[in-house]
Amino acid sequence: MASVQKDPILQVETTCGSLLFELQIIWDEVGETETDRDQMLLELERECLEVYRRKVDQANRCRAQLRQAIADAEAQLAAICSAMGERPVHIRQSDQSVGSLKQELGRILPELEEMQKRKVERRNQFIVVMEQIDSITNDIKGQGELVHSEPLIDETNLSMRKLEELHCQLQVLQKEKIDRVETIRKHLCTLYSHCSVLGMDFNEVVGQVNPTLSDPEGPRSLSDHTIEKLGAAVQKLMEVKIQRMQRLQDLATTMLELWNLMDTPIEEQQEYQHITCNIAASEHEITEANSLSEDFIKYVEAEVVRLDEVKASKMKELVLKKRSELEEICRKTHLLPVSDSAIDQTIVAIESGIVDATMVLEHLEQHISKIKEEALSRKEILERVEKWLSACDEESWLEEYNRDDNRYNAGRGAHLTLKRAEKARNLVTKLPGMVEALASKTIVWEQENGIEFLYDGIRLLSMLEEYNILRQEREEEHRRQRDQKKLQGQLIAEQEALYGSKPSPSKPLGGKKAPRMSTGGASNRRLSLGAAMHQTPKPNKKADHRHNDGALSNGRRGLDIAGLPSRKQSMNPSEMLQSPLVRKPFSPISTTVVASKANIATTTTQQLPKNNAVNEISSFATPIKNNNILRNLEEEKMMTMMMQTPKNVAAMIPIPSTPATVSVPMHTAPTPFTNNARLMSEKPEVVEYSFEERRLAFMLQSECRLV
Amino acid sequence: MTLVPAIGRELSNPPSDGISNLRFSNNSDHLLVSSWDKSVRLYDANGDLMRGEFKHGGAVLDCCFHDDSSGFSVCADTKVRRIDFNAGKEDVLGTHEKPVRCVEYSYAAGQVITGSWDKTIKCWDPRGASGTERTQIGTYMQPERVNSLSLVGNRLVVATAGRHVNIYDLRNMSQPEQRRESSLKYQTRCVRCYPNGTGYALSSVEGRVSMEFFDLSEAAQAKKYAFKCHRKSEDGRDIVYPVNAIAFHPIYGTFASGGCDGFVNIWDGNNKKRLYQYSKYPTSIAALSFSRDGGLLAVASSYTFEEGDKPHEPDAIFVRSVNEIEVKPKPKVYPNPPV
Repeated sequence: MASVQKDPILQVETTCGSLLFELQIIWDEVGETETDRDQMLLELERECLEVYRRKVDQANRCRAQLRQAIADAEAQLAAICSAMGERPVHIRQSDQSVGSLKQELGRILPELEEMQKRKVERRNQFIVVMEQIDSITNDIKGQGELVHSEPLIDETNLSMRKLEELHCQLQVLQKEKIDRVETIRKHLCTLYSHCSVLGMDFNEVVGQVNPTLSDPEGPRSLSDHTIEKLGAAVQKLMEVKIQRMQRLQDLATTMLELWNLMDTPIEEQQEYQHITCNIAASEHEITEANSLSEDFIKYVEAEVVRLDEVKASKMKELVLKKRSELEEICRKTHLLPVSDSAIDQTIVAIESGIVDATMVLEHLEQHISKIKEEALSRKEILERVEKWLSACDEESWLEEYNRDDNRYNAGRGAHLTLKRAEKARNLVTKLPGMVEALASKTIVWEQENGIEFLYDGIRLLSMLEEYNILRQEREEEHRRQRDQKKLQGQLIAEQEALYGSKPSPSKPLGGKKAPRMSTGGASNRRLSLGAAMHQTPKPNKKADHRHNDGALSNGRRGLDIAGLPSRKQSMNPSEMLQSPLVRKPFSPISTTVVASKANIATTTTQQLPKNNAVNEISSFATPIKNNNILRNLEEEKMMTMMMQTPKNVAAMIPIPSTPATVSVPMHTAPTPFTNNARLMSEKPEVVEYSFEERRLAFMLQSECRLV
Repeated sequence: MTLVPAIGRELSNPPSDGISNLRFSNNSDHLLVSSWDKSVRLYDANGDLMRGEFKHGGAVLDCCFHDDSSGFSVCADTKVRRIDFNAGKEDVLGTHEKPVRCVEYSYAAGQVITGSWDKTIKCWDPRGASGTERTQIGTYMQPERVNSLSLVGNRLVVATAGRHVNIYDLRNMSQPEQRRESSLKYQTRCVRCYPNGTGYALSSVEGRVSMEFFDLSEAAQAKKYAFKCHRKSEDGRDIVYPVNAIAFHPIYGTFASGGCDGFVNIWDGNNKKRLYQYSKYPTSIAALSFSRDGGLLAVASSYTFEEGDKPHEPDAIFVRSVNEIEVKPKPKVYPNPPV
C-alpha cells in the first residue's frame, strides 16, 4: 500500500483497475454481453484519450503564450532602448538559452520595467525643455500673451543627443531673449532721456508703443514688432530733439547777436547763459531735463521776441553807436570822418520812421568793415607818420632846449634832460631819411590805391612837403644866425678896438624871437622863463613873488584859473601836453615860501607864465588836434540833426566800469582844466555856498511852499 | 549763500532822504547814520539790522558815537543833541545860532566839538546837566562858515568856507595853533586827519585831494602834495566831480575817497598810489567810514545835491568787507633805497 500511496499515477492506475474490476463484477451480476462489455470498454478508452489530448493541447497553448510574452517584452525593450538611443542591456542570445521560458520571462520583465521608468523620466525632461522653448518662442514671436500648447514629443526619439540639441536650442533662445530685453532696455533708456529732455511724458510715449512696456512689474513684450516700434519711437524723438535743438540754437544765436548788438549787461545774460552755452553742442550733449521742452523753447522765444522789441526800440541808439564806432575808427586811423550824406539822411529817416533801422545798421556795418579794411592798408604808413610826428616833437623840443642857456646847469633831472637831448639829436639826423621813406611809401600807396593818402583830411604828401620847406627855412635861418653872430663878433672886436669895453653877449640872444613850427607842439614857456631869468638873474626870487601875488589874487577873484601851484621850473614841454595815461612825476606843493608860524599861506610860483604857455599850446595845436575839433564840430552837427545832444548820446552808451586791481599812480601833476573852468565859474562870485547850504535853503523853501 | 554784489551788501531800511554822514563805532560794528530825512539811525552792520531810529526837528547834518550806548547829532534846527540809544532818549546839549554842520567827539578831551554855519565852533561837556550854561565849555570864532572838522589826538582841524583851515590844540583853544589857507583852489568838501597824527587830507569840489602836514619845518612841508581824482575824461575833456568823503583806514593809514562820480578809490598817500577802485555806486558817495578794525567799509551812496534839486537814485548804505590787498600799502619801488 505504501508504494501505491507514493505514486499517484500508480494509485490512479490502481483506482482505474479496481474500478474496472468493480465494473466486471457489476457486469457479471447484470449479465452484460461480451460485445456490450467490449463496446463500453472501448468507449471508456476513447473518452480517456480525449481527455489526454485536450490537456496536451492546453499545455501546448500555454507554452506558445509564454513565448509570445517573452518576444513582446523583448521587442518593447528593444524599442525603448532604440528610442532612448542606448544599447539594450541584455540582448538575448537565442542559442544560449539560459533556462525555461518562465525563467526567461521572469528575468526580462524587471528589465523592461526599469527601462520604462527611465523612459518616463527622459520624457519628462523633454517636456520641461520643450515647454521652456515654447514659452520663450512665444515671448519672442507672440504678442505677449502665453499660448499654452502641449509640447509634441517624438516618442521614437528621446535620445540624449536630442535632449542636448533641445538644450542648445533653449540656450540660444534664452540668449536671444536676454539680448532682446537688453535692446528694449536700451531703447527705453534712450527714450526716457529723450522724453526728459523734450519734456514729454515717458509712460505715455511708451504706452503708445506697447502697453506692456509701461508696466514696470509685469512681463514685457519682446517681439520683433515691439522692438521695431520702439526703435521707430526713439528715432522719431531723436528727430524731434534735433529739430528742437536746431530751433533752440537758432534762437540762442539770435539772442547772442542781439546781446552783442545791444551790449546787454552780463547779469541779464546770465539768466540765459545755460542756453547760449549749448549753442555749438551736438545732439547727444544735450541731456539736461526739460532743456528742449516746448515750454522752454517758448520761454526762450519770448525772450528773443522781447530782445527784438528792445532792439527795435534801441535801434536808433544802436545806429548812433555804430556811427560813433565808425567815427572812432576814423579818428584812430586819421581818416576823415565819412560825410556820407546817405547815412545822415537815413538817420533822419529813421527818426521820422520811414526807413527800417536794421537796413541802416547793416549799411553802417558794411561801411565799418570797409573802413576797417582801408585802415589796415593804411596802418603801415600811419605808424611811420606817428614816428615822424613824434620825431618832429622831439626836434622842436631840442630846438627849444638848445636855446636854453641854462641847460647845463646841474639840477634835478638834468641828467635825464641831457640824455633826452642826446637821443633827440640822433633822431633829428635820421629825420630827413624818415621823411624821404615816408614820402616814397605814400607815393607807392597812392599809386596802388589810386587815391590820395589823407591824414585827417590833409594830404600826407603836402604835409611832408610843407615840413621840408619849413626845415629848409629853418636851416637858412640857422645859417643867417651864424652869419649874424660872426658879424657881431667882428663888430664887437671893432668896438673893442675903439672903446675897449664889451657889451653883454647875451643881450641879442635874449631879444630874439623864436621861430615856430607848425608840425611840432612845443611851447615857448622855457624861452620866456629863460629870458626872464637871463635878464635879471639875481632878483629872481622877487620876481617870482610878484608872479605869485598875481596868481593868488587871480585865484581868489575868479577861481577860473586852474592848476595847483608848482615850482617845477625845469618842466619840459612834453609834460605840459601830458595825457592822463602817461605816468608823471609828482610835483610837490611849493615850499619856497618861508612858513611863518602864524600864517602859512601856500603860494604859487610861476603861475602866470605857465598859464600863458598853456594857452599858447592850445592855440597852436598840431593838425591832429585841429582836426579833432573839426570832427567834433561835425559830429555835433550830426547829432543835433538827430535831435539829440552829444551829452545824451554819451549817457546812453554804457561806460564799462572795471575796478582796477593794479595800483595806479596818482595824477598829482598840475594841469590846466580850462574846459571845466567854465563849469566851475558859474558859481556866484560873491558868496560860495556849500551843497548842504543850498540843499537846506531849498528844503526850507519847499517846506514854506507846503505851508 | 547769496552772492554779495561787488559793491557790497546793501542795508535794508535806508534813510528816506539824503545821507549826511555815517560812522562806525569804535567798539563794535554798529553804524550811526544821519540823514536829511530828520533822523538818526543806528544799524548793526553785521546783521543788517536797524537797532533804532531817532527823529529830530530838522535835517540832521552830522552825527558821531559817544560810546556804544550813546551818540551825538547836530541838526539844521541849530541844536546839538546827545542820544541815548538804549533809552531812546535825547538831551539837547545846546544850540548854535545857525544850522550846525559837523560834530566830533574827542576821547582825549572828553568833549564834543561842533562846527556851525554861524562861523563858530563850540566845545561841550556831555556829562553836564541839560542846559547850555552847564554844558558849554567855549565858543571860538571862525573866519567863515564851518564845513568840516577832524580830530586826531589833541589836534583839531577846522575847514571853513573861503578855503580857510584852522588848526587848534584842544588844550588851548583860545586861538588857532596854525591858520592856513587850503592848498586847493576850490571850496573845501572834507577834511580828515591822518591816523598817525602828522597831518590831514583835504578834498575840494574840484576833484582834488591835498595831503598836508602839521609840522611846519621845511623838510616836512616839502612832503605835501595834491593829486587829482574823481574825474572822467570824455572827448579829451575832463569832467571833474566833487570829492565828498575821505576815510582813513585805522590800521594801514591808507584812505578811501568818495566822489560825486559814484566811485570809491583807495589811496596810499605815502607812496602816492591808487591801490584800488571799487565798482561804481548808483549815485554820489556822500560819506565813508571804516569799521574799527578796518575790515568793513560803509559807503553812503546818496545824492549830495551837487546839481540842485533833480531826480536821483535812491539813497542807500552799502557795507562791504575790505580785502587786505585793497588797503595794504604797496611800497614804492625805488631804484635806490629812499633817503
